[in-house]
Amino acid sequence: MKVREIMTKDLTAEEKTVPVRELIFILDSSEMPNVPIVDEEGKLIGVISEKDLIKAALPGYFEMLHSTSFIPDMNQLAKKLAQIADDPIEKYMQRDVICVEEDDDDLQAADLIIRKNLKNLFVVGKEGRLVGVVRRIDLLEHLL
Amino acid sequence: MIITVTPNPAIDKIYGIDRLKVGGITQDEFLTRATWSDTSAGGKGINVSIFLARMGMENVAMGFVGGHTGHVVVRDLRDEGVTTNFVWVQEETRTNVTILEHGREHIPILINEAGASVSQQEISRFMRRYKRMIKQASWVVLGGSLPPGIPDDFYRGLVELAKEAGAKVVVSAGGSALTHALPACPYLVKPDIRERLSMEGADLSTREGIITAGKSMVACGVEMIIVSHEFTGDIVITRDDIWEIKARVSATALKNLVGADDALLGGLIFKLKQDSGIEEALRFGMAASILCAESRKKICQDVGQIEAEMAHITLERA
Repeated sequence: MKVREIMTKDLTAEEKTVPVRELIFILDSSEMPNVPIVDEEGKLIGVISEKDLIKAALPGYFEMLHSTSFIPDMNQLAKKLAQIADDPIEKYMQRDVICVEEDDDDLQAADLIIRKNLKNLFVVGKEGRLVGVVRRIDLLEHLL
Repeated sequence: MIITVTPNPAIDKIYGIDRLKVGGITQDEFLTRATWSDTSAGGKGINVSIFLARMGMENVAMGFVGGHTGHVVVRDLRDEGVTTNFVWVQEETRTNVTILEHGREHIPILINEAGASVSQQEISRFMRRYKRMIKQASWVVLGGSLPPGIPDDFYRGLVELAKEAGAKVVVSAGGSALTHALPACPYLVKPDIRERLSMEGADLSTREGIITAGKSMVACGVEMIIVSHEFTGDIVITRDDIWEIKARVSATALKNLVGADDALLGGLIFKLKQDSGIEEALRFGMAASILCAESRKKICQDVGQIEAEMAHITLERA
């Protein structure tokens, strides 16, 4: 079976200039774990997740710590998040996006989702335009 | 690619009842029990999207959704095979209630909410997506009312952008949303006259009034105007022709008018996209509309049944 037959046909995506504050609202309201970033032609150029934003909001010295339990309180996290709230998401997005083409086999999509521990696997058409997403649940529904 | 835009989507909640009870003291006197009900994603553009998807035609539905009901709308569309691209807004998507009394289904009771307010930031987010999407569009359908927060000239801007991108644009709306869109000269206009039987001062309650208003729109650059004239008849005005399209069915045979007008547009676009002639496309659209109205389910899905229904449709030059 082809990926196009199992994917969710949703084109929810943002452009890299969208501020972090707006993206948090989009993640919350759409209930998506991550949002694909596209250019003006709709071509997939990145992805940004809740995890990327939390990482961006952590204090600068976090890299030196072994655990978030070393952060004394939530105020520092909140302060840092307020500082980056108006930044464009391109500062924090992942540019190497794992994706498949709509004509690829479902097995290839399943392999990537399992091996790379992905929540969403974005699907592109021949010209690199976003055409959908394979969610873990799509895979499970398809397999049952 | 076909794109539909529904700025003010809804959950369409339809209740079938035997008789509407009003007043009284005991529950037996004031409680109306539904004999059947149906819930589905609704709104003019969305109905066209669902129709086209059921005909096997790929399309993308755009607009604004919010809250729990917004998720229901998106989920419903995906289940129908429609590609979704909605902007999420702070407020909840509306629910529209239709009550159909047995034997009087052609005169429904409607309770429509105003819809979720849309902010300037949310409009900007939509426009970014729309500009991206119309580069691939061959048809754009702009349908329904505008929710609070969206300016009256919203459709006009969308028509202009789509035409620049080379798409044919359909506007199915009423009131000032439509009158503001007309100067941009969409390809096809279907005035929603459920609220008012007039448009820009033109009387749309009579055959002559419709033809006069239609001719003036064609003179301004619109290619085709379709106006509902009777329950089972429309008048179509183009640059070259005026048609009266009628279905030979009784109004009392109609069981649910919700979405029937949108099926007409969906059927018309479905056929025109396949390079059918305008006459065949109009008859197919009207047949789809009547078939939808004859059943409780909102949107019909069987091409064979629609084609069979075409035997009851007449198309005559006026």
